[in-house]
Amino acid sequence: IEFTKVAADPSIVNLGQGLPDISPPSYVKEELAKAAAVDRLNQYTRGFGHPLLVKALSQVYERVCGRKIDPLTDILVTVGGYGSLFSAIQALIEEGDEVIIIEPFFDCYEPMVKMVGAKPVFIPLRNKSDGNFATSADWVLDPTELANKFNSKTKAIILNTPHNPLGKVFTQEELQLIADLCIKHDTLCISDEVYEWLVYKGNKHIKIATLPGMWERTITIGSAGKTYSVTGWKVGWSIGPQHLIKHLQVVQQNTLYTCPTPLQEALAQALWIDCKRMDEPDCYFYSLSRELEGKRDRMARLLREVGLKPIVPEGGYFMIVDVSALNVDLSDVEDNQPYDYKFVRWMIASKKLSAIPLSAFCGPETKAQFEKYIRFCFIKKDSTLDAAEVILKNWNKQKA
Amino acid sequence: LQAKMSRLVQARRLEGVDQNIWVEFVKLAATHATVNLGQGFPDFPPPDFLREALVRAVGGGNHLLHQYTRAFGHPPLVKILAEFFGKLLGRELDPLNNVMVTVGAYQALFCCFQAFVDEGDEVIIIEPFFDCYEPMVKMAGGTPVFVPLRPKAPGAGKPMSSADWQLDPAELASKFSKRTKALVLNSPNNPLGKVFDRGELQLIAELCIKHDVLCISDEVYEWLVFDGKEHVRIASLPGMWERTISISSAGKTFSATGWKVGWTLGPWRLLQHLHTVHQNSVYHCATAAQEAVAVGFRRELERRERADSYFTQLARELQGKRDRLIRSLEAAGMTPIVPEGTFFLVADVSAFASDVPEAPGSDEPFDSRFVKWMVKNKGLAAIPLSAFYSGPHKNDYSRFVRFCFAKEEATLDAANDILQKWKQERAAP
Repeated sequence: IEFTKVAADPSIVNLGQGLPDISPPSYVKEELAKAAAVDRLNQYTRGFGHPLLVKALSQVYERVCGRKIDPLTDILVTVGGYGSLFSAIQALIEEGDEVIIIEPFFDCYEPMVKMVGAKPVFIPLRNKSDGNFATSADWVLDPTELANKFNSKTKAIILNTPHNPLGKVFTQEELQLIADLCIKHDTLCISDEVYEWLVYKGNKHIKIATLPGMWERTITIGSAGKTYSVTGWKVGWSIGPQHLIKHLQVVQQNTLYTCPTPLQEALAQALWIDCKRMDEPDCYFYSLSRELEGKRDRMARLLREVGLKPIVPEGGYFMIVDVSALNVDLSDVEDNQPYDYKFVRWMIASKKLSAIPLSAFCGPETKAQFEKYIRFCFIKKDSTLDAAEVILKNWNKQKA
Repeated sequence: LQAKMSRLVQARRLEGVDQNIWVEFVKLAATHATVNLGQGFPDFPPPDFLREALVRAVGGGNHLLHQYTRAFGHPPLVKILAEFFGKLLGRELDPLNNVMVTVGAYQALFCCFQAFVDEGDEVIIIEPFFDCYEPMVKMAGGTPVFVPLRPKAPGAGKPMSSADWQLDPAELASKFSKRTKALVLNSPNNPLGKVFDRGELQLIAELCIKHDVLCISDEVYEWLVFDGKEHVRIASLPGMWERTISISSAGKTFSATGWKVGWTLGPWRLLQHLHTVHQNSVYHCATAAQEAVAVGFRRELERRERADSYFTQLARELQGKRDRLIRSLEAAGMTPIVPEGTFFLVADVSAFASDVPEAPGSDEPFDSRFVKWMVKNKGLAAIPLSAFYSGPHKNDYSRFVRFCFAKEEATLDAANDILQKWKQERAAP
């Protein structure tokens, strides 16, 4: 919230908040206009998800998961991926439970867990690389450290793959490690996979729910906003076994009852279009990541030229960057904020370029580990990246 | 391989809130109804100017309208709402601090209960009530305390009106304790259609002030008032602005229930806590619909109290539909209560009791059995009044059924046909 206010200034090149400034595909916009023209689509639809939409989602994900998914009992449509996280946590996490959160984490996980009276237990990803060409694959969990975080109070682990902010795409082995622990300790897995389609060459998104023993204990979260570059639609979904989804449905009927109808209808129509071409390269699920890979590579190159050290992401549309090599002296800046907060404020003020400090994504104990990194968002149109390029190329000409 | 979890999987806050009447009744209507006067939504479309605004928002050049907007409300929308409602409340409203947009009024209610109700707090709910208030209070750990509207005999020769259902002042006062945190007011009232008058609101306000209690004021039907009756906003009474959250709905205002855009108005000292709940539950609301609702309000601001105001026209149209349905029900032998507002009315169906098979041993309230029988055998869907009462009180007024009259003429004609045929069948030897 703090940083979106600061970067609302139009003179600032905003690579902070995860907001595409590229256009959604035209058929997606058209379907919404068409839906609004149908009388009954402006009134309430089914509370747990518009029938046409849950049917479309079941078709897409049956293909991806290789298992039957019942549209009425195994799916809940929510207000964005955010709403799914909220519903899952409210439904399944009890006061006094522990919930494992992998750092860095999308910042809402911690307050949502606390709001239900549960205790967040953090475990950091650690950078194992030493070179200048680090990728998100170099950031890994320590297996022993992870195992030690599980105990009899652990109710769930929140997994985010592809990962925000790092862009890490967890491998089969890494997921197996987590799955083994979930099964051993009888815990749930809340798997935030909103960036599931944004994986770059050489990487594959694997759903932890498809590993043996995991479907029964996993809620998998998806997002129309990230799938179709329509974050302002706020339509998301939770998919899982009936015996878990039914509790999320109870939360839904006591919180917002139903999600907007025309948006769900439009999304359903768009999903049918892409579902039919899931075997073709034109499918938007694949074409968007191809478009973004070029932007990723351009961003990484520009940052290196300035002396910054990007961690090249395997997925998602964020990139974190080590800014310590620049040695910008901010010791005169007041307050005991972490270095990256001060750096970002300085960068906004003096370079007119915004980003998000990485310590916004970690718990209190690890701020020191993460405070030399900032996060850039690169799902931006070429002119925005051009403007960023100008700033970066001029960076060294006027050091603070 | 371990399948399901071996321990209790769901959180305890879901205890006692897992039932929902709408799931059952919506399914029944979908299966059996030829004429659906049950669930509260219009079967006519929103006005063209509103739909056009949405089409322009999504199809126009500005594709940023497909991206996140300000989490607590799209700036153009909160700006016009502050201006519009500021005039109605007679005070200057700050768009950023006194207005928060929500996913329908439903989510506004959820934010209020989560923000203000703690374990052990009591919340006064006036019966009959929109059914979600009770489970929402419970989910927040609070205790609902019920106080009924009681029907008084109408004036000589007059039909019963929702105005004849009143709170007993002494009974209301007795419900306040030192644990009372809030009172939920719904005016115009769903299901009865009662529009609380200034004197009744004054009574409630005095008690709220005396006991330092918050008022959660659900005013979603604020534009649907008939016979020249005034909708009085409790937040405009002395001493009430600082302790009231007023809730509204674009769905009811513009006949677009499927858009799920609502908002809260109140002082920052209360709204800041709604912000906290909102940013940890849904965070942002859909952008394009907010943009279109803003256009709708700008148009209505220009036309306030003019004949071409949508709000004026809608109320007039619905009053006509109300009267149409009342005539049909009376002709058939039911006894409707004339609503002063909303698009619902409640009718006494005791004259039809003999049609419904007895159910000895069943503790299902009569009106619920009646409604199920009626939809299956007559194809007419309605909602039992007992759905709007707390558990122990479900049999207190179980001879009443709620009908929604926000329906096209053809629908009301079809309902009339069913009712007339039914009456004839009963009269035939």
